[in-house]
Order: sequence, then C-alpha cells, then structure tokens
Amino acid sequence: MDQGNEIRVETRGSVTLFEIRGDVTVVSEPFLKEAYKNASQEGGIKSLLLKFDQNAYINSGGIAVLIQILSETKRNNQQVVITGLSDHFKKIFNMVGITKFAKIYGSVDEALKALPDDV
Amino acid sequence: MDLRLCYLFTGLAEEQLNRISSAAKEVSMVKDQRIFTGGNPAFALHILKDGAVELMMKTENELEIPVAILREPGDCFGTSALMPAHSYSLSSRCVREGCFLIVERSVLKQIISEDRDLGCILMTNAASFFLDRLNQARQELRIHFATLFKSFYL
Repeated sequence: MDQGNEIRVETRGSVTLFEIRGDVTVVSEPFLKEAYKNASQEGGIKSLLLKFDQNAYINSGGIAVLIQILSETKRNNQQVVITGLSDHFKKIFNMVGITKFAKIYGSVDEALKALPDDV
Repeated sequence: MDLRLCYLFTGLAEEQLNRISSAAKEVSMVKDQRIFTGGNPAFALHILKDGAVELMMKTENELEIPVAILREPGDCFGTSALMPAHSYSLSSRCVREGCFLIVERSVLKQIISEDRDLGCILMTNAASFFLDRLNQARQELRIHFATLFKSFYL
C-alpha cells in the first residue's frame, strides 16, 4: 500500500509547485525532503504550492511529514499554500492547525493569485 | 471473495480457509457510516470486500486523526477481536460504499480452539503486520521529535 510518492516539480514565476501524487504517509518523507532540497538548491524557493491528489489519503504520519516541511519553510521565510485536498482533509488540516502555516485554496489558479508577485 | 487476499490468512490450507469462509457473514456499508468506534468491545474481525474504509484515532478534543485507508479486497480491520482486551483500538467508517465480511470473535475462538495450527498461523501473520505498523509509528514519532528539536534549538 505505502509505495512512496512521485512529486512533480514545476516553477510558475516565483512559485515552486510540488504536485504530490498518491497517498501521503511516513513513507513520503524522503520523497518530499528530496524534492524540497533539490528545489532549494536549484533555483531557491520563495513560495511553495503543495498540490495533492483529490483522492489522496493523508494519515497521521503524512501530517507529521507535512509539519516537518512547514517548519522548514517557516524557518526559511517561505510562504506555503495548499490545493487539491478533499473537503475531509481540508477539515482535518484546519483542526490540526496546519492552516495557521499554510492556507488552503480550491485550485492552483486561486492559490497562485493569492501569492504575491515577486520582482 | 478469496480470503487469501487477507494477510491474516496467508499460509492457511484450503480446508482452513473454507472453515473461516463458512463462518463469515457479509455486511453492506454506506458512505460515512460508522462501522465501529474505538474503545467499544471488539465483537468481530472485519474483512473488506468492496468499497473503502478509513481507520481513525480519537484525540482529547474529539478530533479524529486519520490513521489508514483500506481500499483493497482482503484488507482487514477490527483485528482487536483476535486478542485481549478485545476492545477496538481505532474507529472505522465507510468512505466509499461497499461491503465487508465479518467473522465473529466467538466463532473465531471456536475455530482456533479446534485447530491450533490455524490459530498459530493467524497470530504469526498478525504479529508480523503489527510489527510493521509499530515501525511506522516509530518513524512518525521520530519525525515529530526532529521537528520539535529544530523548533526549540535552531
């Protein structure tokens, strides 16, 4: 069941987009950390957009991994936004407090509009 | 459904599988239906046949943390029925309409008492699965500690 994630990385202006395929669990940790490290080294990250699969399942381990990434982005003063979550996980993310560090939007376009344009 | 799809029954002989299959009852479920609640008596082992089930853990402030999603035929839950204190450790709810099989604890107990080999195989498979889950829980704990450590000291 836990097979790791394919993470597609794209840059849109000053925003780095991580398209995270599959469920997110503790198994996702090395994949997300690698993607973050590579993106940081290549062009640097100013803003980060995390896009999840609509049917993705994010368990407590996955939430731990996301919190780990968010603590890193906070330390590096990087803004993070999230899209693609089902209503169920939007509610959970709100209840565990992730939305204090990363706002959730209904679509990639909506999230991109909310991020400041960079010069 | 072929019960061999369930990890608990790996290694059982045809006759042993048939005994369990004969004792299993099919139950339908609808979306968002609560199947069982953590803390309640574990009256049966559940085996997913169709649909999807989420396992959750309740925290102090009534928040239910997602623990696992079961999507494949043969995925089983309610394994607390197999061992004392026979109390469900997690809650479960249907996230996609379908059905599952239940094998009642009392019937399982009877089958195991009459076939000790079957009981041994079941428990060995259960132990292996729980060890894997324990390792995942430890990984999760490690991640939380790493995050906390960095927050306090860096």
